[in-house]
Amino acid sequence: MNNLSQTATKSDITLVVNGKTVTVRAFAMERLLDVLRTQIGLTGTKEGCGEGECGSCSVLMDGTLVNSCLIPVLQASGTHITTIEGLATDKRLHALQQAFLDFGGAQCGICTPGMILAAVHLLSQNPQPTSADIREGLSGNLCRCTGYMQIFEAVAGAARRCGQ
Amino acid sequence: MRSHPADYELLTPNNLPSVLSLLAQEPGAWLPIAGGTDLMVQYAAGHLAARKLVSIWNLPELRRIEILPGEIRVGAACTYTDLIENDVVNLEFPLLTSAARWTGGVANQNRGTLGGNIVNASPAADSLPALLVYGAELILVSVRGERRVPYEHFHTGYRKTQCAADEVIQFICLPRQFSDYRAYTRKIGARNAQAISKVCLAALGRVAGGVIEDICMAVGSVAPVPFRLAETEKVLRGKRIDPALILLATKTVAREIQPIDDIRSSARYRRAVTANLVAEFLKGFSEGGSKKSSMLARWNSLPLAEAALEILPCCGSNSWARQMAALRPIEDEDTLLAASDKIWRSLTESDWMEAFAHHPRIGHSATPSTAPARSAQWSSEEQQKVAAAGDNVLAELAEGNRAYEERFSRIFIVCAAGNSAQTILDILRRRLRNDKQTELQESAEQQRQITSLRLKKWNSE
Repeated sequence: MNNLSQTATKSDITLVVNGKTVTVRAFAMERLLDVLRTQIGLTGTKEGCGEGECGSCSVLMDGTLVNSCLIPVLQASGTHITTIEGLATDKRLHALQQAFLDFGGAQCGICTPGMILAAVHLLSQNPQPTSADIREGLSGNLCRCTGYMQIFEAVAGAARRCGQ
Repeated sequence: MRSHPADYELLTPNNLPSVLSLLAQEPGAWLPIAGGTDLMVQYAAGHLAARKLVSIWNLPELRRIEILPGEIRVGAACTYTDLIENDVVNLEFPLLTSAARWTGGVANQNRGTLGGNIVNASPAADSLPALLVYGAELILVSVRGERRVPYEHFHTGYRKTQCAADEVIQFICLPRQFSDYRAYTRKIGARNAQAISKVCLAALGRVAGGVIEDICMAVGSVAPVPFRLAETEKVLRGKRIDPALILLATKTVAREIQPIDDIRSSARYRRAVTANLVAEFLKGFSEGGSKKSSMLARWNSLPLAEAALEILPCCGSNSWARQMAALRPIEDEDTLLAASDKIWRSLTESDWMEAFAHHPRIGHSATPSTAPARSAQWSSEEQQKVAAAGDNVLAELAEGNRAYEERFSRIFIVCAAGNSAQTILDILRRRLRNDKQTELQESAEQQRQITSLRLKKWNSE
């Protein structure tokens, strides 16, 4: 399979995930996506394409939207990561999660966590987006069920509710 | 086959000298990685040849934009988002901002870097034609010192560059000399976000009296590396723009580029489209003379505060006016109106209130003393039909206004243009039944329409 001798060793890497400090033992080049899913057990973050095209693995890193499939975990050391599991508080859904439910913004569900995190990031920067802003804000997130209209309506609906 | 992380080393020094000494110790062994939007894709696919990576992500020496009197220096590890958010880049290098917005989606813009785009040297990179027309220079740095090279000569072949094994790009330098040039860029692709270009043209030109004084054009995805259209520029420089010249330019550019057939497009299509883009850019100058209006051209060249003051009568929010002025140059009316809508919707409630307060009561001629004279004149034009109404309707309207102001503590805003007093009275009575939040949104939408109409009037003066 692979004739290269192993050159790297694992090390302890500490990051804050959904408000909790976590230390993992990992190779520096392991993808943040894999560490979140397999070591930390947060499987809400999905793998779609694995090459930054689909946005399914979107998470917030220090409040900024990123594709976790493109991040070596060592680069995430010391950062604050928010995944879909970190949005609801006290069993109350985040406004965007509730809006995705209410507007039928989820079909098969694979793109949904990434869509919601992209929308959280959008509304954090632009609380009252136009429909063009919503499309641009979610342009890196693909839905292969193609339920985009309901997704856009959910984001607009959440923005309206939050603005009231 | 997927890569195994155990086969790869990654170090994350916290300063540039440490990175440079590592590169110098084993030249060619260590590969710098910034946001990983290219390298992590190669890594995941098992195609990453380098086994030792050194992170330059977030190094302070590489992640800053220095504004100097004669040039700006963009740190190589600045992200597309850093570019999009920088006022000087937006104002003076709009081609770069457009390219940054087209690169990937938001998540990739947050991680992808300008220096990474350059060293990755893809023939289809959208930011590279912009760098070519702005005459960018690169500062390369190593333990041996630094050197400055024109970006135009940096790419030596398909995915090959002048960067030595122990060097990194520290800055991309852009001369601040293009503020009076007309900028044009267009990407042709399946879609703007997350799609690789079939053709991407960036162009700058300065025309006086119909004659091209200076012109710079560069194109991506139609040759092994993005390149300046030097031949086409040569046939255009110093010439008067007319249909014959535009035809000559399209023929020259079709000869000058070397597109290929690939999965995204055909050579024939790319040749035709590139010629069309050049023609569109050139036609913009002649149409611009009449359609683009001398108004926008003049407004674009005003100092910021003056430009904000001039546009304030269109919408009485100071924040709106300042943000509009900061977005210049705005080339045409469509862009002007779209920018206005976007800024208006992003304002705070108190900004909205400030704008509302600039209007006279409907059916009432006295304008608030805070409103500019221009605004007062427009108000009276907009309310022309209302003023023509009979005394009865006007009395009812006055009563409606009073009830409205009592209920919502501000004046009734409606886009009156062309509406009779009776129509407006009906609208007022309907809106009196709104709850406060709905009514605020409805008022804001009316103000948005008023602003659009006024911007059009202003632009056609």
